[in-house]
Parts: sequence; structure tokens; C-alpha cells
Amino acid sequence: MEQPIKGTVTSLSSLFPVEEAQKASKRVEETLSERHKQLNQLQDFTADNNYLINLVQRLPDQLHHDIMVPFGKAAFFPGRLIHTNEFLVLLGEGHYAERTAKQTIEILSRRGKALEVQVESVKALMQDLKAEASFFDATASEAAEGLVEIREDYVEEPSPKKASTIAEDVPRVEDDEYARILSRMAELEKEEEAEIANREELGGAGSDVSSGHVILEGEMKSSELKEKGESSRFQSTGKFPDHWHVESSKATSKGNCLPENLAYGKFNLTENAPTEPQAKEDVQAPVIAENKAAGRPIEPRFDSSKAFTGSIIEHTIDVNSREQSVSRNSKPVSRFKMQRK
Amino acid sequence: MASSAATRELQRDLENKANDLSKLQKDISKNHQIRKKYTIQLGENELVLKELDLLNEDANVYKLIGPVLVKQDMAEARANVKKRIEYISAELKRLDSTLQDLEEKQNSKKETIMKLQQKIQSLQAGKGKA
Repeated sequence: MEQPIKGTVTSLSSLFPVEEAQKASKRVEETLSERHKQLNQLQDFTADNNYLINLVQRLPDQLHHDIMVPFGKAAFFPGRLIHTNEFLVLLGEGHYAERTAKQTIEILSRRGKALEVQVESVKALMQDLKAEASFFDATASEAAEGLVEIREDYVEEPSPKKASTIAEDVPRVEDDEYARILSRMAELEKEEEAEIANREELGGAGSDVSSGHVILEGEMKSSELKEKGESSRFQSTGKFPDHWHVESSKATSKGNCLPENLAYGKFNLTENAPTEPQAKEDVQAPVIAENKAAGRPIEPRFDSSKAFTGSIIEHTIDVNSREQSVSRNSKPVSRFKMQRK
Repeated sequence: MASSAATRELQRDLENKANDLSKLQKDISKNHQIRKKYTIQLGENELVLKELDLLNEDANVYKLIGPVLVKQDMAEARANVKKRIEYISAELKRLDSTLQDLEEKQNSKKETIMKLQQKIQSLQAGKGKA
């Protein structure tokens, strides 16, 4: 019944001893109660402040008030409060200012706001601590119950399978496709690095751009993107405008050495526009890259002519990382040739 | 006999180091307290400065010096508070650096203590065998 042992079983109590977890939770509880005290103090301050505001509001209503003046610690004597609209307000650090009742109220309300901010921050802190405490408590009780942790190594299934299921009708490309996926992953990684270097480069490269080219490509792209409804997605990545510049500037500089290639890139843009955002995302989430890359090649294969197979990657290179040197471009070209024979 | 003398020596050493460590920890906690006080003062001073900025130029401002309130110029008061803020920030920076220093020292002390403990343990184990 039992399978050959695949993973390990460790009891939770050996990882986190019960006493340790309880100690930790106790410590968190202590800090929590400290915070609670602080919060109470702050709330007292706020209440005091509100009371003071009310008092200051009422005082100038009359010309004078009959009060009992505190004298020393124990004694009071009757007195009269005059100048009810003049206040000496302690601003803090021994600084006082003469203010009227209205101005005093302004100061006090500002102070009240500051207090509220503090109260909020303390509350947020307390919430964090509570979550922490509950976590420790849960760990302690789980460890006490004798919960075990079962760890089993994930055995990766060979990914070519995935590719084969998708590309059933084009079996001969299978291995090739897998290799392409891998190379694509590597490209994306390099791309990320290159993008950073690219921005520095940009200042110099941008000057020799022929404006006609830029506008042409820019227009083409933006129109396509709008058609596909992808433009918003692009903009959300934030990087796009930078990227755009890079592409266009590189396009001109490379147009001389690889005109054919460039033509492909542009041509394909119209068909493959939706793949671009995917490529973008892949850069940020390489994990998903495999699935997407596997799913992608199938699309042009069905709807576009056979002569274009293999050019998909060239295109993505062109679009996303044109600056990745001519040497990198030579690789996809050779693959293209390989496919042809 | 010689080994027991050596362990005693080591134990004394360990005690000394432990004392040093506790002293360091005390320093650190003291430093923390001072730092806390300064941060509170900084916040208060910033509040004062904000209020002073909101006051009119002709408002009367007093400073409490000892038991007396001394009338102050608006500009003077502002300059004073600003200077105080500067001083406190500088002080905070200084405290931070010393705190870092102390923590580094503490870590190295901890390491040496750990090593000493291991040494003593190994010595005792060796003695047990012999």
C-alpha cells in the first residue's frame, strides 16, 4: 500500500518546540499590551484635547468667570477669570504664544489631528502584532497536538511532453520548439539586463535616429495596439515608452546590416502584436514564460504562411531587444534556415 | 591537573567576556532610550516650528526659561527652533552610528563567547575520557 518513500515527515514540535512557540507568543503579547497602553494614553490625550477645545470655545462667551483658583496642592481661593479671550498657548519646547480663543482652537484642532494620526499608526501596529500573536499561538497549539509536516520533493515532469501535445500536427518541430523555448527564456533574462544598459545607451543612440523611421514604426505600432485593445496593458507596465524609443533608434542603426531581418520584424508586427504583451510579462514573471512560450508558436503556424515559421522569435528579439547585438540575431537566422531544409 | 587549570582559566575568560557582553547590551539599551527621547523631541520641535510658521509676524511669543517667561522675537524663536531641530537630527545620526558600532561589537563578542564555550566543552569531554 505504501509507496516508496518520496519525502520526509517531521513533527512540527521538533521544528518549533512547544515552549519556544509559547514563549514567542508571550513576548508578542507583552509588546501588544505595551502598545495597548500607548493607545490608551493617546486616546486620553485626544479626549483631553477635545475637552479643552470645548472649554476654550465657551470661555469668551462671558466677560469674566467666577472660579476657584488652585493655591498650592490643597488649597483653593475664590477668584475671577478676566480677559477671557486671551490665551497663552504652549507650543511645545518651552515656547508660548499669545493667541485669541479662535486661534487657540485652531492650534488645538491641529494638535488633535496629529494625535489621530498617531492613534491610527498605533492601531495598525497592534493589528500586525495581533496577527503575529495568533500565528504563534496557532503554531504552539499545532505543535502541542503533534502535527507533522510532510515534505515531498517535486519531481519535474519532462516539459517536451507539453510541447508535443500542443504541436501535434507539426511533430518534426517538437525538439526544435523546446530548444526555442529554452533559448527564449535565456533571451528574456538577458533582455532584462540589457534593458538597463540600454537606457544609458539611449541618450547617445537617439541622436542619429531618422525621424521618418521612428514615426513610421511608432504609428504602425500604436494603431495595431489600439486594434488589438492591448495598448492599455502596455501603458500599465510603465516601461513601454522607454522601450519604444530604444526600438526605433535601434531599428535605424541596424537597418543597414540586417535589412531582411528588419523587414520581417516589421511585417510580423501586424500579425503578432498580441504576443508582445506576453513577452513583456514574461520578463517580469519568468515562471509563466514556459507555458506561454509553448502556446505561442502555434498561433502563427495556423494562420500565417509556412514560410514564416521560425521567424517568430526573430521578431520578438527585434521588438524587445534589438540592441542585443548582431551576434544574437545571427542565431535565429540560422534556425530559420534550418527549418527550411 | 594541567587540563583542569586550563579549563578554569577558560572559564574565567568566559566570565569576563560575558560581563563585557552584558555591559555592551546595557549600553545599547541606554542608547535606544536616548534615541527614543530625541525622536520624540524632534517631533515636538517640528510641531512647534509648524505652529510658529502659522503665526502672524506681530504675534507675541514667549520662551519659558527657568521660572520666567521671556518675550522673544518671532524670527528669533523660529531660528532657535530650527537650530534645535538641526542639532537633534545631527545627534540622532550620531546615535545611529554609535548604535551600529555597538551592535557590531556585541556580535563579535557573542561569537567569541560561543567559541570559548565550545572550547570548554571539548576540554571537558577530553577530560571525561581521560
